[in-house]
Amino acid sequence: MTIGALLFTAGVALLVAIVSGSSSPRCWLAATLAGNVAALTAAVNVLAGGEAWIWRGGFLVGGETLHFRLDCISALFLVLLAVVASAGTVYSREYWTDAAHPRSARAGRVWWSVLIASIALVLLSSNGLHFLIAWELFTVASYFLVTLDRQRREVRAAGWLYLATSHAATLCLFAYFAILAARTGTWDLGPMRDETSLAPLFWLALFGFGVKAGLFPLHIWLPSAHANAPSHVSAIMSGVTIKLGIYGLVRFSGWLPVPGAAGWVIASLGVVSAVLGVAFALGQHDLKRLLAYHSVENIGIIFIGFGFALIAARQDNATWGRLALAGGLLHVWNHGLFKSLLFLGAGSVLHTTGTREMSRLGGLWRSMPWTAGLFALGAVAISGLPPLNGFVSEWLVYLGLFDAVNSQGNAALAAVFAAVLLAVTGALALACFIKVCGIVFLGASRTPAAEKAHEAGCSMTGPMLLLAGACVTIGLAPVLVWPAMARTASIWNPAWSEIAAPASLGVLGRSHVVLTVLAIAGAVVLWKLANKHGLRRSGTWDCGYAAPTARMQYTAGSFANIITQWFTWILHPQRHEGRVMDTFPAQAHFEEHTPETVLETIVRPAGGAVMQLAGAARRMQHGRLQAYLLYLLLGLAAVAAVVLIGGGR
Amino acid sequence: MSPLVNIIVGLAMGLNLLALGSSRLPSVIRAMAVQGVLLGMLPLVIETDFDWMVMLVAVVTMAVKGVLIPTLLRRAMRAANIEREMEPFIGFVPSLLLGAAGTIAAIAGARALPLLTEHADTLLVPGALASVFTGFILLVGRAKAISQVCGYLILENGIYLFGMLLIHSTPLLVESGILLDLTVGVFVIGIIMDRIQRAFDSLDTRKLTALRE
Repeated sequence: MTIGALLFTAGVALLVAIVSGSSSPRCWLAATLAGNVAALTAAVNVLAGGEAWIWRGGFLVGGETLHFRLDCISALFLVLLAVVASAGTVYSREYWTDAAHPRSARAGRVWWSVLIASIALVLLSSNGLHFLIAWELFTVASYFLVTLDRQRREVRAAGWLYLATSHAATLCLFAYFAILAARTGTWDLGPMRDETSLAPLFWLALFGFGVKAGLFPLHIWLPSAHANAPSHVSAIMSGVTIKLGIYGLVRFSGWLPVPGAAGWVIASLGVVSAVLGVAFALGQHDLKRLLAYHSVENIGIIFIGFGFALIAARQDNATWGRLALAGGLLHVWNHGLFKSLLFLGAGSVLHTTGTREMSRLGGLWRSMPWTAGLFALGAVAISGLPPLNGFVSEWLVYLGLFDAVNSQGNAALAAVFAAVLLAVTGALALACFIKVCGIVFLGASRTPAAEKAHEAGCSMTGPMLLLAGACVTIGLAPVLVWPAMARTASIWNPAWSEIAAPASLGVLGRSHVVLTVLAIAGAVVLWKLANKHGLRRSGTWDCGYAAPTARMQYTAGSFANIITQWFTWILHPQRHEGRVMDTFPAQAHFEEHTPETVLETIVRPAGGAVMQLAGAARRMQHGRLQAYLLYLLLGLAAVAAVVLIGGGR
Repeated sequence: MSPLVNIIVGLAMGLNLLALGSSRLPSVIRAMAVQGVLLGMLPLVIETDFDWMVMLVAVVTMAVKGVLIPTLLRRAMRAANIEREMEPFIGFVPSLLLGAAGTIAAIAGARALPLLTEHADTLLVPGALASVFTGFILLVGRAKAISQVCGYLILENGIYLFGMLLIHSTPLLVESGILLDLTVGVFVIGIIMDRIQRAFDSLDTRKLTALRE
């Protein structure tokens, strides 16, 4: 089948899914999966070297001709969408059932399919107007998915914050596309790299897409939305929708000229996002909120790669630019895979224990070994450890940075800083995930709910296995994905020709295989030894006490305390404690909470000030005719003053 | 332009101040009526050639502004049984001072405007600005609906004075159109006043705040 036919099939299947979502769950499942598989096939076709698919409809939608384009850049994101959406679709069958959620399960299915369809439309649209329509549709669909459980107050608050921030961003995108259309005379999009006067528009795009991507100071909506959404929705939001911000920036920085400072700004925002994202993650005690902050961190890593690619493009330096961009783009895939794996794992924990609070969990690996194992695999991947995929993409970014160090000028200096901070980020992420796995899965159960936990069913572990398999595949055979990345980089910047994979990538893949084989062999030997000599089981973390309780274990807060101390200047953790000061034991308590600093110290006060101003302005509307006439007079005087001062013009 | 024009406009500016300073409704209405008659005479003075059209409009203006509207207002006042006091928001002395300051500012400001030389040495533009300003002070500073009607009329007189600048280039029909609008406006205001009176037993616009939102 041709690509057009495949995409058409996918579209029809998704339409069927949307229609059947509320009445027939089985039909919905089949149609959504079929649509995803068709889209995946089309996208893989394009990535594997097929021609870009461009299609112009013969009719108008909203006064504009339909114009679809599936080239390597959109295919790259479409692959990720199809994989993560398939996993989430299957997962939601058991996770968000009609029986447990009679109010929202039907709506959840319909909006889920709408979300997939509209994201695919965003990726395919090559017309500014249709891009905006699809963009808005996808924002609204994800809003309804985030607020599926809207009986809870914090869910409504998170949804509202998401909607408000998204629309502030969409407003910028409206301005972006409208100005673009006004300057070029058409809403149609395509390469226009020579029109240098369009470069300043990049800043509008950076804000609009940056909010969606969750770049550091613009990420305020992200933690609460990801934490409060149902887990399969968190998975697709963190795995795919925030990547649409990256897609927008990569797409339009490839088509339009960018200002000279763009690469520097993006790279520095990336570094800030990466380091602060992981710092905030360390301060969290809510499992899903912690994962959400890791999205900010990983978006930062992607932006480091992308920013250095922009700098390289500016300096006409294909070698390290290509590596940095390929690393960033591969990290888009990788983060999408392991982050949705982690969110699905967190969802399984939440599903069986009913809490996201890490300090109420513990010892889960005994009751849910599959979930624990797969979550740990995701944790290894996100921490950027070999032999998994996270290491491959971060390593490509490192390669780019190291090559940049060899070049001359400012880029070399910046690359040193970026590489060091990227390493710091990796180390902190590792610490953070040791904390998560240690607190949630190891040790003894802290609450009865955690004690009664049971393994998730196979429609929940199955999708996680699929995602984990993808993570392992990319980790063991990175050479397989290199051509797709190189081709995408050459589409992004036509001056950068496709080249074969760097030799070290093959070495990396082989050493990963060796490492895996050694690890498996070691595990088998240990297992045999254990069987031969017998195992002696005892309580974990008993610290030599005769009668330890589960409450004596390290908590999430105490584990990360040393590191969060370094970041108190930005984290502002709020502590309420009642210490025991007397000789004899007495009641004591300790509470810790890390608020969202940007939201609490900047956005909320600013919002309060606006509301106060608005309240003051409202007092002007009191119904006294004479005063209204006075306003009129003052207005006229102001206009007259403007005209007089404006004078000659 | 003859000095006669300046004298008439000067008188009209004086009447502005009189309207601002008087504490009783009938005297404000009278000041406004006299001003209307004076301004009605202006086209005859400015237009040197005799034209029956100009004559007609001038007579109609004088009749409407000097007789018809004041009569209507007095009748409304009597019918609604309004007290004759003005009840100012802005006191009479401050109003007068404001009006005087506005007049001086109008004369000073008119010099700054890029006017034709033939208009620069007349009082037409300052007079128009001062009347508009006076109308506004009356509108903003008085509580009774009838005094607000007077404010609107004085404001209109200012606009009429601006119209005099164009008397050579635009037909007076435009001016008669404005006059017609104004008459309709006065009728409408009369009807509204009647309704307010019936609904609230008063013509005090301060009570209209009960209608907000």
